[in-house]
Amino acid sequence: MASAKARSRRFAADLAVVAIGLTVLILFAFPFIWVVVISFRHDADIFTRTFQLITRFTTENYAALIADSPFPNYLRNSIFVCLTATFAATCIALVTAYGFSRYRRFRGRQLLLILVITTQLFPFVILITPLYAIFLNLGLINNFLSLIVSYIAINLPFAIYMLLGYLDTIPRELDEAARMDGATVLQTIFKVILPVAWPGVVTVAVYAFVSAWDEFLFALTLMTSEEKKTVPVGLAGFFGEYTTQWNLVMTASVISTLPTLVLFIVLQRKLVSDLAAGSVKQ
Amino acid sequence: MVSATTDVPARRPARRRTATPFGLVLPAMLILAFFFVGPAIYNVALAFQELSLFDLGKGGEWVGLANFAEVLGDPATGRSLYNTTFLLTVVTVAVRLALGLALALLLNASVFRRWRLGWLVRSLVLIPWVTPPVVAVAAWKWLLDARYGVVNQLLIASGLIDQGIPFLAKTDTVWGAIQTILVWRELPFVAITFLAALQSIPTDLRDAARIDGASAVQFFTRVVLPLLRPVIAVVTLLTTIWTFNNFVYVWLATRGGPGDYTQVLATQMYTTSFVDYRMGAGAAVGVVMSVIMFAFALIYFLILFREK
Repeated sequence: MASAKARSRRFAADLAVVAIGLTVLILFAFPFIWVVVISFRHDADIFTRTFQLITRFTTENYAALIADSPFPNYLRNSIFVCLTATFAATCIALVTAYGFSRYRRFRGRQLLLILVITTQLFPFVILITPLYAIFLNLGLINNFLSLIVSYIAINLPFAIYMLLGYLDTIPRELDEAARMDGATVLQTIFKVILPVAWPGVVTVAVYAFVSAWDEFLFALTLMTSEEKKTVPVGLAGFFGEYTTQWNLVMTASVISTLPTLVLFIVLQRKLVSDLAAGSVKQ
Repeated sequence: MVSATTDVPARRPARRRTATPFGLVLPAMLILAFFFVGPAIYNVALAFQELSLFDLGKGGEWVGLANFAEVLGDPATGRSLYNTTFLLTVVTVAVRLALGLALALLLNASVFRRWRLGWLVRSLVLIPWVTPPVVAVAAWKWLLDARYGVVNQLLIASGLIDQGIPFLAKTDTVWGAIQTILVWRELPFVAITFLAALQSIPTDLRDAARIDGASAVQFFTRVVLPLLRPVIAVVTLLTTIWTFNNFVYVWLATRGGPGDYTQVLATQMYTTSFVDYRMGAGAAVGVVMSVIMFAFALIYFLILFREK
């Protein structure tokens, strides 16, 4: 009977922790929840002086954004640049990590690994002035190639480092057997290693995509013409200094967040534990 | 690339050891050299030149230390140095470490696992972090709007103020607003990293401490904190470097204004190069930033190694 009492006391304590925890978290997530709420609200209802959670529901903002704003073009640009950069960065990182993982004693290995780790910590933002000058001289300002190369380079260090840790856990017997059967190095990497290493490859690809999708400074500086703008720069233009169209801003904000939100909700447990493993290992 | 088809196994290792690894790592190393090493050197060269954005093709004129003298002699640089190191970096890193640890401890309560709320809790924590920084600034600009923002409407309704406060336009509130935006967006990274570290602490450690008569506070200060130290060290290093060089929050929230009250080194560098079109002076700001970051990393690793 005492145990029933202890159990109900424990239940009350549990309930209190859950109630406090969920309240804190909902308040924490509120700014974004509010953006979503506003994006489904009528133009007239946005500028009311009283704070209301529920008003009339409409999808007209989404229709307007897609039909008569440049946002669909920003989306197309971002999707193209980010997917290309993610694909290239992941492939190059896999090949590089394989080289570092399977060949332990080539000359300069240590030095090159240090280069990878320092560039990972290097504040690349500082390089925007010289990179603009270099890309201008190459005629690559307003050419997606400069942005794609930048996003590949920004993501390579973390991707190589992360995949190196992953490949080191895969037994060498696997690729040695493939090589015995006459496979080339590249065939071994993409046909034998990739199917085994894909959980690590997925994590690396997601982080590369998200960091490219969020990136602002390089997109702002390297893509100066209206038709080459990516989502973050285009969205920032919507709340520029003179004209603020809040319903468009909020609707575009929701769409801009959708890819990263979906990726993290589907893969959250894996992404979080892989990231934590990476941080702890460093 | 060296072919793997060879009938003499004994000859294989010797040949492959030399050519193949270089071939495999070369493309990545070339990209890193092109993107990081080359521009870093070119940036130092640019810092000693007078060069307008419009004369990039022609090349600049060597002016020695003039850019550094100008940048370091400008009182605006002193302000952005203080803004960057203290208001942008030290304050928000400290707040993130404290709140991140508190949030991680709360979410580590076993009840969330027992009641199968782990997925919901993790999703809610991650929401600010999956929001692109541009969206985070947009959301907060709207929340903090003087007339229609939720924050001002709640403050007016509660009778604390009569008129909405333009938080991002007044000098006494603007830094608090920027820090709030930054901490909100970047706190989840700290919280989930700490949470993962807490979850890697074996539960029997806690039971053992309880049997030995340790209180919850003693367990936290004597067992949990020492175990978390390496993670705290890494998170501090990473967030400090990322925040010190951050451009996007200040730029989108205030453009460095009102006046240059919230100017930080990254926005000063961008403004000098791409608004005033003075690439040489902008490069000099970049060099100043790298020197500070290098000094920080050096001191950080010296302390870390001395302790070991």
